[in-house]
Amino acid sequence: MKEGSEKKAPEYPEDYYEHLARTLGEEQAAWARLPRAEREAELTWIHESFNTPDDLAVWPPELDGGIENGSK
Amino acid sequence: MSTPLEFLKVFAARLSRARVGYVITSGMACVFYGLQQTTKDSDLVIDLEDLPRFLDLLGDLERELPPWRASYRVIFGAPLEADYMAHGWTSHLSLWDRADSPEHRVDLFSKPPRVSKVETGPESDAYASRHMLAQMKRTDRERDWPMVDGLGLQLRRLAPEQALLHIQDAGLLRGFWEQASPTTQAAAALKRPLLRLLPSTTDLDALHAWLRLERIAWETINQERYRLYEAAWKQFSRAWRADEGFVWPTSEPLRAQHERLCRAAARFALERDPIGTVGREALYERALRRAVVRADSTAEKMAKVEPPIGEVLP
Repeated sequence: MKEGSEKKAPEYPEDYYEHLARTLGEEQAAWARLPRAEREAELTWIHESFNTPDDLAVWPPELDGGIENGSK
Repeated sequence: MSTPLEFLKVFAARLSRARVGYVITSGMACVFYGLQQTTKDSDLVIDLEDLPRFLDLLGDLERELPPWRASYRVIFGAPLEADYMAHGWTSHLSLWDRADSPEHRVDLFSKPPRVSKVETGPESDAYASRHMLAQMKRTDRERDWPMVDGLGLQLRRLAPEQALLHIQDAGLLRGFWEQASPTTQAAAALKRPLLRLLPSTTDLDALHAWLRLERIAWETINQERYRLYEAAWKQFSRAWRADEGFVWPTSEPLRAQHERLCRAAARFALERDPIGTVGREALYERALRRAVVRADSTAEKMAKVEPPIGEVLP
């Protein structure tokens, strides 16, 4: 990481977290309220504890459509 | 074992030490901004002129003790060469930073889609700015749009004009529009024509419908964009696979893989500039015609919300 380069995140108004709760769910809104270090610690724990699915499709973004497609 | 986040921090530090210009984007950047709870891949924008240095760094890491391992993936996008990366291709690697490390997937851009300026945000000189990230997240994947919306809401105090470009919620967009200065409103409306409808659209359901139409335009333009890369890659891949003795990926060091890939790309004519072959304008017009059909709308309505070509295909 570029050394010493991270600053504290700004605080967001309450309507932001209320909107996250409506669109992404209460649990994710509660997670979003955590300080960044705690969020990252939680993500690290998830990676250590579970074989989570990835957020990306098998194909890269410009080749979306399924892994089998390349051999057809 | 290194977790994906630990790996990213180690790898980013190595990039900095090697003076490779990079910006972390996509999933890990959404984690950084508190909008996405889980991701594994590292998505990086690498400066075009630093691609040779980036490959040199990976070679150095492979020769370290204990050695890293680096490989192109089965579906690799394009070689890490400026001729391809400057035209919007991505390149896809797997890296292992220790013997007991899981595979770390690293996706690389040099000209990320929809981004006219690669930039970092005010809290970090490693992570993509919220604005850049929101531009990249305007895909045709359902799950990306709450990120665009969330980033827009975060930008309200930091950069009001950019906030107006990205907020997707009708009520919150209207509320923020009413608070914005006329100068900010005018500047944002040049880039987001939908904003011009706000003074005359008082019904939030009607505004929601306009927002849906606008989103379908973005989604369809993205579909049309990546279809060109998909077609180019498949045509190349089929030809290369049919070659006698085809093996990919090989177990060679990354540099040897890279040279093998460059030879194959030249021999089997992997298209360097898929968008250039059809033209931005043709892509844009075709996508908008499709978007009208997909939305069951009209060209007249679409004209009121369609994103300017300079915003969606810079």
